Amino acid sequence: MLTCREMSELGSAIIERDLRLSTRWAVFMHLRMCSRCTLYIKQLKLTSEVLQQLPFTDDAVDSQAILKKLQAPDQ
Amino acid sequence: MDDEQELLRRLRRGDHGALEAVIKLHHAFLVAMAVPLVGPESADDVAQETWLKAFAAFGKFEGRSKLRTWLARIAINEAHAMRRKRGREVSLDGWGVDSGSPISSRFNEQGAWDVPPSQWHHESPEELLTEAELYECIRKHLHKLPSDQQSVVMMRELGGLDYPEIAQALGLAEGNIRVLLHRGRQRMHAMLNHFEEVGTC
Repeated sequence: MLTCREMSELGSAIIERDLRLSTRWAVFMHLRMCSRCTLYIKQLKLTSEVLQQLPFTDDAVDSQAILKKLQAPDQ
Repeated sequence: MDDEQELLRRLRRGDHGALEAVIKLHHAFLVAMAVPLVGPESADDVAQETWLKAFAAFGKFEGRSKLRTWLARIAINEAHAMRRKRGREVSLDGWGVDSGSPISSRFNEQGAWDVPPSQWHHESPEELLTEAELYECIRKHLHKLPSDQQSVVMMRELGGLDYPEIAQALGLAEGNIRVLLHRGRQRMHAMLNHFEEVGTC
């Protein structure tokens, strides 16, 4: 029987479906009766999805200057 | 991603505005990703080389991955090339050591939740990212992650690279990469959970 602490350690493997069959069964059984771990795993997945979609723009980047430099590499 | 498809169409036509836009969108990411690979003083050079290669090859980009992933792959190759040319390895001392669970204090001695996660007001990544203050908070906390976790989160989550690529780029085992990613996600989850609970960063 997995504890909630062990479930939290398996979080990324669970959301990436990267578990051995025996562990997968234990995870499934735990999630069936533990709403707290179900919530944690759901939120960890959401966290991962937020990071995947996170824009990483920087207003300080001067794209015109970079483009000019690229078009005149010898200067 | 329809916006990305439209941007790609314009890039393939050599539209000047699109070139500027794509630099604005991804330059900071490429620099941040290159820093641990070549050091801060050369990271901008890696990003510049990446743009040179990318501008010549947008026509060949088939759109099977995200544009950011395609650019990240070019940047990693450029970083390797620069390291070979300059004959130096970047020292990543202490990278990959597991710092332990950032939420261990939330469990009791039997391993059950003492302080369980709260219900969140937001249900989707789109909802979360429309809140300007939350977006700033995510960026801030991403920078506050330990360097090794930050690097793996950037490469895997933002960059969309796979484990073998990241392991090779950082000279670490895939097992280490998985642990670092999990720890980084846990810290970012804790940050989001705090924001959802109190409404501020």
